[in-house]
Amino acid sequence: MTDFHVADADLLAWAENRLAEPAAWSVEAHLDDCAACRSRVPTTAVPPAPMDLPPQGRVRRATRARRIRLLIGAGPQARVAWFSAVAVTVLLTLTVGDRVPHWLLLLIGPVLPVLGTAVSYGRHTDPLDELVASTAYGGLRIVLWRTLSVLAVSLPVAVAGGLVSGLGEPAVWLLPSCALTALTLALAALTGPAVAAAVIGGGWALLVTGTLWSPEAGAQLVTGGTTPAWLAVTAAAALIITYRREAHR
Amino acid sequence: MTVAVEELTVRYGRRVVLNGLDLALDTGVHGLLGPNGAGKTTLMRVLATVARPDGGGVRLLGSAIADEKALREVRRQLGYLPQTFGFYPRFTVREFVEYFAWLKEMPAARIPVAVDRALERVGLLDRADDRMKTLSGGMQRRAGIAQAIVNDPRLLLLDEPTAGLDPEQRVDFRALLRELGVDACVLVSTHLVEDVAVACERVSLVDGGRLVFTGTPEQLASAGGDGDAGDSAIERGYTAVLRAARA
Repeated sequence: MTDFHVADADLLAWAENRLAEPAAWSVEAHLDDCAACRSRVPTTAVPPAPMDLPPQGRVRRATRARRIRLLIGAGPQARVAWFSAVAVTVLLTLTVGDRVPHWLLLLIGPVLPVLGTAVSYGRHTDPLDELVASTAYGGLRIVLWRTLSVLAVSLPVAVAGGLVSGLGEPAVWLLPSCALTALTLALAALTGPAVAAAVIGGGWALLVTGTLWSPEAGAQLVTGGTTPAWLAVTAAAALIITYRREAHR
Repeated sequence: MTVAVEELTVRYGRRVVLNGLDLALDTGVHGLLGPNGAGKTTLMRVLATVARPDGGGVRLLGSAIADEKALREVRRQLGYLPQTFGFYPRFTVREFVEYFAWLKEMPAARIPVAVDRALERVGLLDRADDRMKTLSGGMQRRAGIAQAIVNDPRLLLLDEPTAGLDPEQRVDFRALLRELGVDACVLVSTHLVEDVAVACERVSLVDGGRLVFTGTPEQLASAGGDGDAGDSAIERGYTAVLRAARA
C-alpha cells in the first residue's frame, strides 16, 4: 500500500495510450501494487485500433437464414428455376392474347419442377457433385432441399397456368406437379436424374396430347375428381424414395 | 486405425479397378503413389464415401459405416479434395469454403472463424472476396484444399493436391501437410515422387489395383539399385518395386 495515487488525468491518458513511455512505466508499476487505482482505470477509454490489420472483408454471420440461403440458393437448380419461371411468364402473356393454345400450358406447367429437379443434381449439371456427395449433407438430403426450392418457384407458376388456361381447377394443378416431381426422384434412384426426367416428362406429354381430341378430357387431369389418384401416386413415389434412399448416397 | 481396408474390390463394368487391396493408415501424412490407372483415384473415392466397394471391408474412423447415421457421422469428420472439381459461378472464395462448412454440418458459431482460418492456411485470405472464376488454376486448387480442411477433419484425402501449384507454393503446401498430419490422418495421392519423399512419413504404392509396397520413403529409396531408371534414389526405388511387382 502507498499514500501516493495516480491523478485521474494521468490514468485516462495511460488507458488511452497517450502517456510518454517513462511516465507510463511508473503508472504501470504503481497499478501492479495499488488495487484502488486499478479500480479507477477508466473502462470507457477506447484503445486506438492497430493500423496495419487488413480489412476484414465480407465475413457473414452464421445465421440460420444464411445457412438456408447457401444450402438452397447455391445449387445449379437456382438459376434454372428462375429462367423457367421467366419463360413461363412470357408464355402466359402470350396465352392471354390467345396466340398459344391453352393445352400447351397444361403440357408445360406441371413438368417445370420435373425439369428443375433433373438439373439440380448429378455429375452432369452440378460442378460440385463429387465434393457435395462426400459431405454429411450429401445424398438424398441435399437433393430434397434443392427439389423443395424448385417446387417453391414452380408451383405458383403451375397455379397461374391453371388460372390463365381455364382448364380444370387452378389449385389442383399443384397435384400433378408434386406427383410428377416425386416420381422423377423415385425413378432417378435407378436411372439418374436426366433419364428419369425424360421418362416422366415424356409420359406426361403423352397423357396430355392423348387428351387433345377433346378439351374436356384434358381438363379432367386437373379437376377435383383426379385428386385421389394424384395423391396416391405422390404417396407411392415418396415410399419408393424413402425405401431406396441409399441409392442417392 | 483411422483407415482399415481389407480385400477391397471395385469394378467398373467388367474392368476390375481395385483387386483385393489391403490398407491400414493411422495419424500422420501418408503418400499414395502409383502409375496412371493403378486405382489411386478409385481408392480415394471409396475412402471419401463417394464410390461404393463391390467387395471387401472398409472401416473409417473406427466405424464400419453400417447405416446412414454412421455415414453422416464419418462424413462430418472427412475432408476430400478430388482430382478435378468445379464451382458455382457466383461464388466468392469465402462463400465456396463457407458452403462446405455448412454442408459438413459444422456448428454455426465456429463457421466464420473456421472459414477464414482455412483460407489463411492456404494463403488465400487476401483473395477471399474475389469470385472463384477470377482465380488462377493454382489458386482454385488452394481454395479446394481450404474447403477440405475447414472442418479440421480427422481423415483428409487429397487427390493430386500439388497439380498446378508453383514450386514455392508446393513448399508452403508441404509445410501445411506436416502441420495437418500431427493430429489427422492425411492421405495424399500424387504422381510426383519428390512430394512423397519430402512431406510423407509413410508411402503406399499401388499397381494394378493392388498394394505392392508400404513403408517409409527411405525404405522405398533403398529398394532401388544403380540399374533402375530414375533421377533420384526414391525414383529408382519406385521403378524397382513396380518391376518386381509385375514380374
